[in-house]
Amino acid sequence: MPAARAATEDTAMTELDDATRHALCDLLLAIADDKLMLGHRNSDWTGLGPILEEDIAFSSIAQDEIAHAQALYEFVGRLAGTTADALAFGRSPDAYRCAAVVERSDDNDWAIALARQLFCDHLDQLRLQRLSNSSYAPIAALARRLAAEEQVHVEHADGWVRRLGSGTDESRQRMQAALDTLAPLSASLLEAVADQATLEANGVYPPLDPPMTATWCAKLTTLVDDAGLHLACPESAPNTPGGRRGVHTPEFPSILDEMCEVYRIEPDAAW
Amino acid sequence: MVTDPRVPRPRSRYDAPMITTAQVERALATIPDPEMPISITELGIIDGIDLEPTASGAAIVRIALLPTFVGCPALDMIERQIVEKVTRLDGVERVEVRVIYDPPWTVDRISESGRASLREHGVTVPSPGDAPAGGSTLVKLRTSAVPCPFCGSTETHLDSAFGPTRCRSIHYCDACRNTFEHLKRV
Repeated sequence: MPAARAATEDTAMTELDDATRHALCDLLLAIADDKLMLGHRNSDWTGLGPILEEDIAFSSIAQDEIAHAQALYEFVGRLAGTTADALAFGRSPDAYRCAAVVERSDDNDWAIALARQLFCDHLDQLRLQRLSNSSYAPIAALARRLAAEEQVHVEHADGWVRRLGSGTDESRQRMQAALDTLAPLSASLLEAVADQATLEANGVYPPLDPPMTATWCAKLTTLVDDAGLHLACPESAPNTPGGRRGVHTPEFPSILDEMCEVYRIEPDAAW
Repeated sequence: MVTDPRVPRPRSRYDAPMITTAQVERALATIPDPEMPISITELGIIDGIDLEPTASGAAIVRIALLPTFVGCPALDMIERQIVEKVTRLDGVERVEVRVIYDPPWTVDRISESGRASLREHGVTVPSPGDAPAGGSTLVKLRTSAVPCPFCGSTETHLDSAFGPTRCRSIHYCDACRNTFEHLKRV
């Protein structure tokens, strides 16, 4: 899209002031941490997917999510003077910015894993769409690439929800139960990072019109209705501080311990 | 005469001529993609080659690399091979590879010879102007008309959007009953 690129360059920021840089790092960590956790949780399904093709698909999505997280960590690393590995595996729990819904175990229930993916993919797509229009050109370029790849995830999750919704009584009932279980928790995705208002005001993370939360809800509700299922989509973030402010669920330290085990034994290990 | 070793001697007419972009390009064209039967130049992931002459006469070669997919695991290997091959050329002092996302890589950057080679190996590429990823649902994709690379039939269907690598999907031809792969349009 040469036209879009040129337009971005005209208004491009090349330098970030300290406050903007901190806020942007926080926002990118929120997105990257969500993707890292999700990728980690999805990789649990490698070898256990409900059918072979889905096993491969879920594993590929896990690979995508972790690759996206890595690219975002590298970006933050350049802004904050650290490395992707140190960010992914070397922070204390309260420095992570992921949402409660990606911390939750799926308890080996594939419908839960799919619903988790659905809520996250739709939000990811909108967050990346906003960053694609960022006044800070370097993040806009990366976000456009990530958004194009994210589209495949959205189509995949949507396709399964439709299929299970129009399948058997059991598939309908189990998909519905998973949506009911995760919908309240998915509100955790909507929490803003500290100083997000700064990024919205200076166009680094421009708002959507209609706003992101409303768009997210509308897309999910339309899809789920279409699949013959029901969704009580949360319309705002919880009132109490959550993952975006470093307040995590009781199960978070255990998943973090599992993920960081090798790094903590040998931080400089090369692969 | 005492010469200061820190000051390189000026180039003379007896020195080898400066390396050219074409020479670097030829070296890059010999590097295959690790996962597909196509060279990295045919794939279109090289965006620019800059030569900076140094006082010694040898050049610093800067190469911009566009990943097909973000964080593609083949990228490190490609980068290493580029450095290895180009460093070996005469007149090269150092090679620097930079991974960039702007301009973005798209399937439209694949050359005609690259498309032919992929087709021969059962991998099809979306034609320029095909609908980009997005806007379609998986249900619709089931009847997508990706032509079969073997028999040319459009009686094909998507088997899985997730193939052997992150950039490829798997399709099945209902006419000649062959499985083939298709590069995702990003």
